[in-house]
Amino acid sequence: MFDYKTFETIAGWAVSRAINESSWIFPLVQAFHLVALGFLAGAILMVDLRLLGSGFSNQPIAKVARDARPWLLASLVAMVLTGVPQFMSLATKEYESPYFRWKMMFLLTALIWTFTVKRMVAYSPEGRFGGGLAKLVALVSIGLWTSVAINGRLIGFFS
Amino acid sequence: MVDIALGDYFAPLQTLANYVSELPTSIQLRESQYVMPWVFVSHVISMCMFAGTILMMDLRLLGVGYMQTPFSQVQRRLFPWQMVAMFISSATGLALVWGNPLNYVTNIIFWLKMLAMALAAINALAFHFITEYTVVDWDAGRLPPSGARLAGWLSIILWVNVVLAGRLMPYALTWFRS
Repeated sequence: MFDYKTFETIAGWAVSRAINESSWIFPLVQAFHLVALGFLAGAILMVDLRLLGSGFSNQPIAKVARDARPWLLASLVAMVLTGVPQFMSLATKEYESPYFRWKMMFLLTALIWTFTVKRMVAYSPEGRFGGGLAKLVALVSIGLWTSVAINGRLIGFFS
Repeated sequence: MVDIALGDYFAPLQTLANYVSELPTSIQLRESQYVMPWVFVSHVISMCMFAGTILMMDLRLLGVGYMQTPFSQVQRRLFPWQMVAMFISSATGLALVWGNPLNYVTNIIFWLKMLAMALAAINALAFHFITEYTVVDWDAGRLPPSGARLAGWLSIILWVNVVLAGRLMPYALTWFRS
């Protein structure tokens, strides 16, 4: 599934080639990918900053997490919708790019972290997890998502 | 290609850009293989932090997000992060322009970005000095008044444009004649 042939097939699809040949589709998709990234970063930071104790310290974490959830999910959907077309049109280049692989690995890890550990800590009754642990969970979350963004940017430089 | 001879309007700035581009620091920055990509990366990361914390505050202002937290609390808690992120994105943005001034000075999308940023700043100040005075009346639980929601909409629209313009800048050369 992850061999060069698959990537070549994807890049050869009519849609992929259409995206590549247009002078404006790829730039616009890329630009909206960044806008979605802004919203995504915001929804993640709202909870992480709260876990770090620098957010809304007089608000229960679960309340903030529940409020952030629709924006987190919506921006993740927007990220995928604007990310997949970019991948399709550049599939053969992405195959070669170490940064694309790093990005995908960090993304998978960040998603798992967000929807298991961070979710559990954020929604658990206040005080069940110590402040130190909550901070660690937030720092890991920020670190993982930042790595996704950094590698995403580097794909464009060194591929 | 759209025919906009933007260069004519920026003749005086062109002279300044030429001068900066010949300074040793500008040349070093431009020719550094590793520094420049990392300046770009830092610009994107600080943008995430800035746009993220601004956009979430705007959603609260529109009355569509984080309604369980009073607006003043959202604003107060996010403010220091917004300022730190603004400082980093300004510094890295300045470095990007410093290293390649000629790329930006006649770039219409660059100037649209600067315009959107200026308008966003005016919007933020206007909100702070006018609408925010009544914040006690709508701080918790209730839909913010139309003035506050207008400020939220303007902020989202302008900052989204800043992000879009930032990413689309390199394409100005293929889309428009400068």
